[in-house]
Amino acid sequence: MIPAPHLEAPASTAQRVYRWLDARFGLGKVVEFARHKEVPLGGHSLVWYYLGGTTLFFLSVQLVSGVLLLMYYQPGEATSYESIRYITARVPFGWLVRSIHCWSAHLMILSLVLHMFSTMLLKAYRKPRELTWLTGFVLFAIALGFGFSGYLLPWNELSFFATAVGTDSVKSVPLIGQWLLEVMRGGPDVTINTLYRFFALHIVILPLVLLAVLSLHLLFIQLQGMAPAMAHQRPDRPGLRFFPDFLARDLLLWLVCLIFLSVLVYLLPYGPGIPGMEWELGKKANPLAPAYPGIKPEWYFLWVYQLLKEFPPHLLGMEGPQAALLVVTVLMAIWALVPWLDRRASRGQSSPEFTDLAIAAIIFMSYLTLKAWDIGGKGLPGKLPDPRSTSWVCAWIVLALSSAIAVLRILAYGQRWMFFSGAALLQVVLNGVFGLDYLISGAIALVLVVAGVVASRRAPALRPGVTR
Amino acid sequence: MTAPVAPTAKPARRSFLNWLLGAGVIGWAMSVLYPVLRYLRPLSDAGAGSPLKLSAEELATLGKSHFVIARSGTRKVIVFEAGGELRALDAKCTHEGCTVQFVPGDSLLWCACHNGKFDLDGRVLSGPPPRPLTRWVATREGNDVVLTMEKA
Repeated sequence: MIPAPHLEAPASTAQRVYRWLDARFGLGKVVEFARHKEVPLGGHSLVWYYLGGTTLFFLSVQLVSGVLLLMYYQPGEATSYESIRYITARVPFGWLVRSIHCWSAHLMILSLVLHMFSTMLLKAYRKPRELTWLTGFVLFAIALGFGFSGYLLPWNELSFFATAVGTDSVKSVPLIGQWLLEVMRGGPDVTINTLYRFFALHIVILPLVLLAVLSLHLLFIQLQGMAPAMAHQRPDRPGLRFFPDFLARDLLLWLVCLIFLSVLVYLLPYGPGIPGMEWELGKKANPLAPAYPGIKPEWYFLWVYQLLKEFPPHLLGMEGPQAALLVVTVLMAIWALVPWLDRRASRGQSSPEFTDLAIAAIIFMSYLTLKAWDIGGKGLPGKLPDPRSTSWVCAWIVLALSSAIAVLRILAYGQRWMFFSGAALLQVVLNGVFGLDYLISGAIALVLVVAGVVASRRAPALRPGVTR
Repeated sequence: MTAPVAPTAKPARRSFLNWLLGAGVIGWAMSVLYPVLRYLRPLSDAGAGSPLKLSAEELATLGKSHFVIARSGTRKVIVFEAGGELRALDAKCTHEGCTVQFVPGDSLLWCACHNGKFDLDGRVLSGPPPRPLTRWVATREGNDVVLTMEKA
């Protein structure tokens, strides 16, 4: 089908170009596809359909600003730090380009995390979109890899120790741990060789892998369309046309994102000063200096950082870090496999357990992140924050927020299945309010949630399917 | 060139050829992968753990800030003075590999990354480190300080 609205009228240049291409490539099929592309309406807010697009927008900002930084950046023991300082201090608008790259990186991850959680809560991963979820999960891992490898490139004190800690955990991998550690670092320790490897990773390897996986992710979405709301919440009405209705909204939002980014870059060129979200260059890395107090990874790694602190030196025959990373790996694997675990959603039925799992994940990670920020534990200048009072304050914050969310879930959505989020909150309360050890609190919560789920299977009144 | 397979050919011959092809592909993949993997693993640094003499600059730092971190091959050693005695320990925290520092006021070694604390002999006092710090022997030879790794 070739759209030719005005065959009789003299053809404009654009029309002639179109016809020339169409005669050779059969563009009609593409146009036909685009005409029928729709965004499902109803069931839930349209807002959730924009987050993939905003992530893509910030990614494109990253590609452009990254290439610009590459024009001056020189990896090397005597040049990495110096070239970044040169970019920010001397190159016209160099500070702007670097600041955009840093801000946009954080906003991209933020947008990606929101995109992932909305997909999780709306069950958009359900059949037939399992592989869209899985490629999305891989893209998330790649984004974290970008953040981690880019962190080292300025070769300052902060990046040096963050990389030392981050790569050291690799040694916990069974069998190939030591090999992997040395391959990542280019030696047994973090040296300038590590920077060369991270540089290759950051500007060549990860971008290539990203483009491949992203193409698959977008291809799946084109083939299947965007996920509609679950059948039981979906009104029967036509969707919104993608061209031009949704695209126009998308572009408008991207413009808003660009303005937002510009304002942030202008007002706070070195970040908001929150630990894990600041990029003052600071001192040059010195491999022979001790780690300094207050050293922290980026905000999206803080929950893992705090978990490493909570684990004792030895646990069940493993060393603490090994056990902590095993827990993180298991949690990540569960997250990646959710479309296959959630069999009720695959059948188009409601699955409140998985809604609750997402809420539990939010509670679990929020508490650890708040603790990593030492909120409520600020001591006198020069004194270390008191971990006990930090836990106490953070637990109350999480308790207040989770209660508000629970009330909202019950009143607005009629959700009643709350075993997972309840267990996550119990751990927070036992650890923070009652001062019990973090892992013992977790073990108690885990036992109770298993008992609760088993009991609910026996007592049909509590069965998930019965909830509204 | 092999003759076209006759329809009456035994399946055993076909499966044997498939097996041979599969083995060939695996062998080829391994011969490509092995050099790449070997290339990626850096050469090990010789001389790690051999005796080490502190430089004049390092001695000055030791006098000024109570401790100094020196490098022996790929290992880092922290040298500090406590109770008039010169001591030396591995500077790399056994938890996640940050570099520790000497806190003279509390007579302990502290890792700022995850709040691990060690006593002056390298034993874990508190925090997440799973193992003690390896001990070195620091001896004064005239005006020099020489570090040797303690035999286990």
